Amino acid sequence: MPDRFTLSSIAVHNLRRRPLRTGVLVAALTLMVAALVFALSFVTRVNESIRLTSERLGADLLVVPTGSRGAAEDILVENRATSFYMNKSILDRIKKVEGIDKVSYQTYLVTLTGLCCSVPSSMVVAFNQETDFIVTPWLKNKLGRKLKKGEAVVGSESAYNISLGLVEMEAKLFGNVFTMVGVLDKTGSGLDTAVFISDDNMQDILRNSDTKIKQDEISVIFAKLKKGVDAYTVMSEIENTMIEVDVVMRKDIGKSLLSSLGDISKIFYLTMVLSTSLSLFLVWAIFTAVANERTREIGIMRALGAKERHVVNLFLVEVLVLGAAGSIAGIAAGTSLSLLMAKSFSILKNLPVELGAFSRVLIGAAGLMFGTGICVLGALFPLQRLKKLEPLLVIKQE
Amino acid sequence: MPQIVVQDITKTYTVGADVIPAVQNVSLAVEEGDFLSIVGHSGSGKTTLLSLIGGISSPTSGRILFEGKDLFALGSDELSEYRCSRVGFMFQFASLLPMLTVKENLLLPTCFRPGGGETGPGQREKKAEDLLRMVGLTEKINAYPSQLSGGQQRRVAIARAFMNGPALILADEPTGDLDEETEMDMMNFFRTMNKAEKITFIMVTHNTDIAKQTQRRLRMHRGLLQEQ
Repeated sequence: MPDRFTLSSIAVHNLRRRPLRTGVLVAALTLMVAALVFALSFVTRVNESIRLTSERLGADLLVVPTGSRGAAEDILVENRATSFYMNKSILDRIKKVEGIDKVSYQTYLVTLTGLCCSVPSSMVVAFNQETDFIVTPWLKNKLGRKLKKGEAVVGSESAYNISLGLVEMEAKLFGNVFTMVGVLDKTGSGLDTAVFISDDNMQDILRNSDTKIKQDEISVIFAKLKKGVDAYTVMSEIENTMIEVDVVMRKDIGKSLLSSLGDISKIFYLTMVLSTSLSLFLVWAIFTAVANERTREIGIMRALGAKERHVVNLFLVEVLVLGAAGSIAGIAAGTSLSLLMAKSFSILKNLPVELGAFSRVLIGAAGLMFGTGICVLGALFPLQRLKKLEPLLVIKQE
Repeated sequence: MPQIVVQDITKTYTVGADVIPAVQNVSLAVEEGDFLSIVGHSGSGKTTLLSLIGGISSPTSGRILFEGKDLFALGSDELSEYRCSRVGFMFQFASLLPMLTVKENLLLPTCFRPGGGETGPGQREKKAEDLLRMVGLTEKINAYPSQLSGGQQRRVAIARAFMNGPALILADEPTGDLDEETEMDMMNFFRTMNKAEKITFIMVTHNTDIAKQTQRRLRMHRGLLQEQ
């Protein structure tokens, strides 16, 4: 028969002695870690969406009509279909600003519904193929040529929505028939949900649809700066000389989203602080009770030759088993909650970036460390007292 | 050289403003393999003296040398090692851990030995089974303490004291809960272990008949020790 009795066996026996108390502690830890994992998943996903959008945009500055800064971010970061327009003549004025290297523009047409079946709201983006440096790199990679008049490519999410496969299909957009000739790779930005056409088609769209856009209107100007030029200086120059536009720097993309999420973040942090404090108090209270309850047993063990580290190890095993059980359950609950909320929470539903496996593993590891860390911290004080007791004195306490 | 030398040991307890002397200026030398008993009234300091020799209580003054080493000059870990590998305790009260079975209670002291007490596959278990057989409790090996009578619990605690192969047994009223026949069996068991293994026994008892069976008898009165 194998010889298996160790100090860890005693810890397991101890956990089984009070199943209700063990259950309450595990449940509290589960709730705390679930709240942490959910909050971290939410914040990471928002930040990751903003970072990727900003990185992949390819422009240093975005010029939009005055008051449309938030709407531009809605499209780029949150996939929200919206429209805003300014006069195309601004493009020439932007080109002349010192420090500007390249400019291009896009026109946003809202809303595309019922393309071939029931599909969510989407955007048609008309872009200038001669000057574009936003869509073209992705297009070249996928299609290997420019778009012809009457052709469109769709973002990866739109393709999913309209079930577009490899087979070319035709669809009527704003009174004109377009052939969908390809699907762009996922960019991680809001443009993944758009349908892209060349701006050669704008004349036909204006003629054949009741869209309110005028011929000389565009939505956004993308500007690339010359090397070494300070983006802030150029932005200030544009905003000071052209009151009809707002300028968004690449690094500021997502700021309005973050600011609108500020209160939600505060609620998350407050919930975290409260649940952490509660769990810490609970662990401390329970382990103080455990320490009092087992004082005599520990005294007997010390008399039988247990060192201080044996007492510490015994408690640590208990604490770590509890912490790990609560944390693992909390990670599962928090991850499930974040996946569930991602489908029903409008802010999360519109974010272009899903959390990858690596991010989820990191968040899980943070949850595990936090859950077990709280347990160890809460048990530390009662343990310190217990390990220093003189065996005879505690043995006699009966 | 004596195995144990108690040099002018004093232990006092402070209760409020009162200082109560439990053991007063006791000196004693015990040779390896001695079997001695200490008798005395309740509160005379017998248990305290035993605890001091066992290193589970520290003296107010004086020294205790075990094999030439001053116990209270040892660090906490060394003192624990002394208790673990050199001493076997039999407490006056129920001292089994309630959540462990009889076998697990016996294996408990081996967990505190360096390396977790593993000397070979199944050796700890075999020793536990042998000792249980010697105290007549083989059939209770998987029982919990709550399923045993007071006397049976006492016999498990007796067996546990021998698990780590001690050089010294400190027994505080070891036969207190036992019937006459079992008491005699246990005394025979002690004598066998004393002779065969050369284990030193210091036994505290109220029972003068039991004390008479020991090789050397001491009496404690109000913290003072006298040879009989």
